Amino acid sequence: MLMISPRMASGMQEKQYTPSLLSFFIYNPKFGPREGEEEKKILFYHPIEIEKNEKIRNVGLCEAIVQFTRTFCPTKPAKSLHTQKNRQFFHEPEENYWMVMVVRNPMVEKPNKDGKPPTVEYQEEEIIDSVYGSVLQQCYSMYKLFNGTFSRAFEAGGVELLTQKLEKFFYRYLQTLHLQSCDLLDVFGGISFFPLDKMTYLKIQSFVNRVEESLSLVKYTAFLYNDQLIWSGLEQDDMRILYKYLTTSLFPRHTEPELAGRDSPLRPEVAGNLLHYGRFLTGPANLKDPDAKFRFPRIYVNTEDSYEELHLIVYKAMSAAVCFMVNVAVDLNREFCEQLDSLVGPQLTLLASDICEQYNINRRTSGPEKEPQFKFIYFNHMNLAEKSTIHMRKTASVSLTSVHSDLMKILGDINCDFARVDEDEEIIVKAMTDYWVVGKKSDQRELYVILNQKNANLIEVNEEVKRLCATQFNNIFFLD
Amino acid sequence: MHRSDNRGSWEFQPEDTLIEKTGKFPSSLAQANLNGQKKAGSAVDVPSLAYRNEDIMSESWRQHRKHVFVLSEAGKPIYSRYGNEEALASTMGVMMALVSFVQAGGNMIRSIFSDEHTVVFLQKGPLVFVSVSATRQSEQQLRSELLHVYHQIVSMLTQASINRIFERRKNFDLRRLLFGSEKVLDGLLDVMDSDPSFMLSAVQCLPLPSSSRDTLSHILQKAVTPNLVFSFLIANNRLVSVVQEKTVLEDARLKPSDLHLLFNLIRASSAFQAGEIWTPICLPLFNHDCYFYAYVAYLDPPECTVCLVLLSTDKEAFYALAECKRKIEEAFASQNALQWVTNTPLYYVGDIGVANLKHFLYKPSKVLDHHRQLPQFTCPEMEVAYRSQEERIHLLDLYRNMHNRIHSTSRPLKLIYHSAGKETLLAWVTSKFEMFACFTPLITKKSAISELTKLLRWIKKEEERLFICQLPKYSSAPQPGRSSTDRGRSDRPDTSDTGLLSLL
Repeated sequence: MLMISPRMASGMQEKQYTPSLLSFFIYNPKFGPREGEEEKKILFYHPIEIEKNEKIRNVGLCEAIVQFTRTFCPTKPAKSLHTQKNRQFFHEPEENYWMVMVVRNPMVEKPNKDGKPPTVEYQEEEIIDSVYGSVLQQCYSMYKLFNGTFSRAFEAGGVELLTQKLEKFFYRYLQTLHLQSCDLLDVFGGISFFPLDKMTYLKIQSFVNRVEESLSLVKYTAFLYNDQLIWSGLEQDDMRILYKYLTTSLFPRHTEPELAGRDSPLRPEVAGNLLHYGRFLTGPANLKDPDAKFRFPRIYVNTEDSYEELHLIVYKAMSAAVCFMVNVAVDLNREFCEQLDSLVGPQLTLLASDICEQYNINRRTSGPEKEPQFKFIYFNHMNLAEKSTIHMRKTASVSLTSVHSDLMKILGDINCDFARVDEDEEIIVKAMTDYWVVGKKSDQRELYVILNQKNANLIEVNEEVKRLCATQFNNIFFLD
Repeated sequence: MHRSDNRGSWEFQPEDTLIEKTGKFPSSLAQANLNGQKKAGSAVDVPSLAYRNEDIMSESWRQHRKHVFVLSEAGKPIYSRYGNEEALASTMGVMMALVSFVQAGGNMIRSIFSDEHTVVFLQKGPLVFVSVSATRQSEQQLRSELLHVYHQIVSMLTQASINRIFERRKNFDLRRLLFGSEKVLDGLLDVMDSDPSFMLSAVQCLPLPSSSRDTLSHILQKAVTPNLVFSFLIANNRLVSVVQEKTVLEDARLKPSDLHLLFNLIRASSAFQAGEIWTPICLPLFNHDCYFYAYVAYLDPPECTVCLVLLSTDKEAFYALAECKRKIEEAFASQNALQWVTNTPLYYVGDIGVANLKHFLYKPSKVLDHHRQLPQFTCPEMEVAYRSQEERIHLLDLYRNMHNRIHSTSRPLKLIYHSAGKETLLAWVTSKFEMFACFTPLITKKSAISELTKLLRWIKKEEERLFICQLPKYSSAPQPGRSSTDRGRSDRPDTSDTGLLSLL
């Protein structure tokens, strides 16, 4: 992506290019072990226009690098390759299946006089490995959520089926990657939880129990409000990737029409059912139309042990959304959907307005917003709970941060330093711009605070953060 | 107050040879001793020689903290820190293939990262340097270490001759010229691990009252001869005094990196222990294409802790320089000056009166002239907690990590305060200085600030003793007989005088 930053005189502009995807490929060396068979190793390659021999060479380089690093540590081979112009990230999600993502380094193009081509300067220190490494891992998780594992696909239909699935998924998914705005939150891959009082939480729990009892076909349920999770019956790793899919793909697709004006053609067909506001986000868009065909997306969970393939039903009423997961063996017909609609619709509508009311009461009693003045990011490794007052409107396309990207990179650096040891630590830095950044790690939780207090000293900064911890985090962090 | 007990704090002793990450003490190596006697103050070559034949297939070879490989562009092995480089020929071939492959795409390979290791590549002319490190040092620091290895090779051969050799014959085996010099590179790699001078790009001086230092410098200043460019007085790896030719001083051409390489070369060659030594040496940052001729002699045999090094551009100057040394010795003897050097107290953190401070590094910025001309730093002797080689390296690793963050090219910082399990660390860069400090782990921020303030006050008070505050030049121009108009240029090493080069 190109960002123009105008500089001084003579209309000469320095152009700043952000990191971008150069190529992405998946290979398995076992599929083409002999000379002359190299092409067989390649299961997916983007961009597709690249000449065959070059693809083979690039894959060969990756194999050589992995092999070389195995000389020194057989069990922990290469994770990334740094070159002047780009970075390559390696991930082996299943034995012998390798995924490689090549990201072009950010660069600055400086114009030259006299019609000479502009000088390109690569900025080699900008990209943080842990961030993009996590993005690559997430590519696999997302693929696996909708397609199951590579090995199962290979078992079911050989290389042909596998390559077909990879092509179909990644061709679209890669277009949704926005590498210029990846940051620390990608490392966490966390879930934003909706803050609730005990009463309302119990109401939701009993709602889920009731529905699961009545619709015995439902295996797992997840309950969200306002793009935030309240309850989930899924394993953590499955929920975190499903959450990402819901909040960055499914929900945004459906909110835009909702926000459209009354007479806009985008407005969804309100089924004319005045009893409730519930509707399907996956499956039948309009229950009233008997001829409309529909199907539910399939997801794969618990791939390490029970390996389950499920229908994903997402049903929404106002700001509350419920996911019901049913075994694929079951045929979800119109009858079932109508049953679900009449059972869940009214209850969910009621629940949604209850939550809304309770939420407003809580906000009023907790007093004026103390939060906004603190820019922080919090993550709990145990339950994957994540909270950021720095990111705004994280959608499929862009997550805007209210702080300079250099500060976000400093957070990334501190996170890397934390990852080196298992102990509780605290790192406080003062940046060149006189912003203070405080990182605290305690007992599986991480907190990052950015303070714009140019004339503060270390002690004052410490006091500020202590206040934040006391009000927001109930003294989870104990360091002085 | 503690007497300097014949050991520089950054030297490692024959007894505490490297304890690897595996914790295995190479006991079989500790017994062997080439010369049959232990010499204090010398780098240990013996263990390195034993590593020459280490089995490269073994687990222990893989587990070394840091491998360094040097090869030619043709993929020919030149040096390996551990293991026989010939046995590593195919591994080196792979490294070269990786470099070439990326180059063929109009790109340059920089590094490879895995969970346990960082592999860093550096190409300088026809030579390729690769570091495989389990230390988690940053890419930039590992690359700068490789650059030092390159410069050490240049200090022995000069860049011009290296380039010319490979231009004529791409397949040349540089080991023929470096035979016997492996221990110089081994010594360099060992000292870089545990000596902060490299990280700080600065020189550590021997603390000495300025009056004493001035007297010593004065004696060196007067011992001149034509073509003499540098006179160094070194004690236990610390600089006592340096006198320079006038324009060299004014142009600040003496770089700490060159000095480190010079010290290493002297230290690593056990031949330098006895009598006088006369050897060519190139200072790569000063001029990478020609040799100086170094006269080296210890002024206090048999302890051999105080070393005089005179660098001249004239390869016939041996007797003239020997005469300079005699004059210096005489002048020292008349004032018993050598005692000042050997008896000067080094300082410990305890001497400063800051209870929770365990160690620090302090480097003044280049604002003052003498620091611009010769970047210096000071640090206390190691306390009990950091006496062993392994602990020293661990502390230095902590400093290195902060140094890397605070001097990041992309997002530099002004201050880092890091509270961790075993220590609390501080790194601070201001316009006047940069410093790194290590405190006990449970210190409060208030105490840390107050101790830091005390420390800075102490340093200010002791400034004249801790640093060389005046860099002297020779008393009379060392070039009688040359016209004054020539002086500017003729004081530089003569580029046509290539000495060893003419033999190639």
